[in-house]
Amino acid sequence: MILLVDYLPVLMFAALAVLLFTGFPVGFILGGVGLGFGFLGALLGVFSVNEFFNLVVRIYGGVAENMILTAIPMFILMGTMLERSGVAHELLHCLQILFRRTPGGLAIAVTMMGTIMAATTGIVGASVVMMTLMALPVMMARGYSIPMATGTIGAAGTLGILIPPSIMLVIMADLLVTSVGTLFIAALIPGLLLASLFVLYIAIFAWKFPHFAPPLPRDDGPDTYGDLAALVIRAFLPPLFLMFLVLGSIAFGWATPTEAAGVGAFGAILLAAFSRKLSLSVLQDVLVRSMRTNAMLFLIFIGATAFAYVFRSLGGDFIVGDFVESMGLGSWGVLLLMMAVIFLLGFFLEWIEITLIVIPIFTPIIRTLDFGAHLPQEDVIHWFALLVAINLQSSFLTPPFGITLFYMKGTAPAGIKMEQIYLGIIPFVALQMIGLGLIIAFPAIALWLPHLVFD
Amino acid sequence: MNTLLHLARLSDRIVVAIGRASTWLALVLIAVILFDVVTRRFFVLGSTKLQELQWHIHTILFMFCVGFAYLSDDHVRIDLFRAKMSQRTQDWIELIGCVVFVIPYCGIIFYLSIGFAYDSFVGGEVSSAGTGLSHRWIIKSCMTFGFALLLLSGICIALNRIVILLGPPELANLARHSASVHKTDLVATPDQPVEHVRTSPPTHSIAEPSPQGKPRSSTRSSTDDPSS
Repeated sequence: MILLVDYLPVLMFAALAVLLFTGFPVGFILGGVGLGFGFLGALLGVFSVNEFFNLVVRIYGGVAENMILTAIPMFILMGTMLERSGVAHELLHCLQILFRRTPGGLAIAVTMMGTIMAATTGIVGASVVMMTLMALPVMMARGYSIPMATGTIGAAGTLGILIPPSIMLVIMADLLVTSVGTLFIAALIPGLLLASLFVLYIAIFAWKFPHFAPPLPRDDGPDTYGDLAALVIRAFLPPLFLMFLVLGSIAFGWATPTEAAGVGAFGAILLAAFSRKLSLSVLQDVLVRSMRTNAMLFLIFIGATAFAYVFRSLGGDFIVGDFVESMGLGSWGVLLLMMAVIFLLGFFLEWIEITLIVIPIFTPIIRTLDFGAHLPQEDVIHWFALLVAINLQSSFLTPPFGITLFYMKGTAPAGIKMEQIYLGIIPFVALQMIGLGLIIAFPAIALWLPHLVFD
Repeated sequence: MNTLLHLARLSDRIVVAIGRASTWLALVLIAVILFDVVTRRFFVLGSTKLQELQWHIHTILFMFCVGFAYLSDDHVRIDLFRAKMSQRTQDWIELIGCVVFVIPYCGIIFYLSIGFAYDSFVGGEVSSAGTGLSHRWIIKSCMTFGFALLLLSGICIALNRIVILLGPPELANLARHSASVHKTDLVATPDQPVEHVRTSPPTHSIAEPSPQGKPRSSTRSSTDDPSS
């Protein structure tokens, strides 16, 4: 009996893990398991049913009355509107023409579009599906090998959770009690670093093995430089202007991230209006779509509140803390352990569940970590957030379970085999690992820009 | 069984209508933010009231849509094994899940949040910042109401699955149809089947734009996007 009480949090986690695989919505399982173990705890005399009232207080105080999280519906609305405004199509078309002389030009175009548009969706599944629908048919028609095409699309589409404005970073900032602006600015260079690694790899590979990534016909696109310039301006200006508006207003301190998100959403609606894609039915559709996505995220908040509260109340924090301490790993060891756990969870869960379940448990431990001269104590949190982000992104891509790969398989034409998708993604996973390694070894990649901007 | 189906449809309609209507508040939120930013920049007003109004709207946005999102099957699921289960197993899991998780959890939070809102009303609670909004009970009641909607959507899905699993075949077909209405709603435009695909990667939603649900989706896609 005493044993059962001690291990209640462990059982709780096990129950969660098993139930998740029933395929019932995650948010409800989190809430239900929280509630169930609350009752079980009450039965064993270690929890009081009256404490359930605190859940209401937490949901109100932590999720509702929260200026940071108010940014989320706005960013989602901005992303959804931008998708509908046709900006992405135009951008891909333009990039394709710009890179027609470069080896692997089309794949580079797709990567760059992923990098720019990535900023807008924030949910891995959605952006990968969007990119697959848009880019895969084009790449196949141009004679790209299937692994090359799917690898590029998967990697570029997954970049979205890292590159700001990233909804994941908003939530992490909230959980880690740090500034959204700092995380956004810190993610900029690592995101661009990964994108450049992808582009570099594609260019070299396509140059060496042109039959996997054939060059585009030279006569594509406009004839004069004037036409080309017009095309570039028309395609690049809108999304870049929007990104600048959002990130710039945060970096220069004109607006809080929430306000920047609202301004960005307004900008996206304007863009859609200018490109004559805006109508009442489009607006309604975008609103409903984005607010449903928003509700989907917040249901997990509502469920995770119950799970985390009961888990903590039953002493789960101590169990995790004691366990980590008993391993005697030191700061580096603990960091690697956490990264390994998050990486493995990334096979099965979207970032939102991982962030909401795992980060609160890890936060107290992270705050005690000390990396001495490697980086200043006050930067550890930001650096950690970035490492988690890149780590998650890699785990979504890693065969055999990476969820990006499954989304892609579900969206791609029937003839495409899982093995081809696996084969194609491997080089990109390796590049992710190089990127992650670089940022672990040189924290300045992430931390230099925020210091420059905010100090 | 017929009554159950009617009840399910009624609650479905209520939750969806309120959810849909509330999404327009997102535009109000944009307007409030713009107004706040512009006035603070140029007239140095800096209003705590406007700031608080922002999270008020945010709260209504997610609380009023969370049940709607469940009826539209938007909520994240782990699909690893689900994809291999038969439709019937999936329906049983949905029913059991509603009865064991959704209804108790939402029911308890709903019940407790009534007291939470009521206390605020009786105590005349106002913003802790002196210059903020008063009448905190309004937003707290909105939270309560949102949980009521979520509870209702859980009941709706449970009733629907009962009819599907235990009802006579023709009613079960009707029930399955009404269960997929909002789903197909999302496959509106060919270039945008993005959103809910997340919930079932391999085969489902995209591959089966459910023939019965067609009227709704086809009218939408024809008016929605001229380019498609």
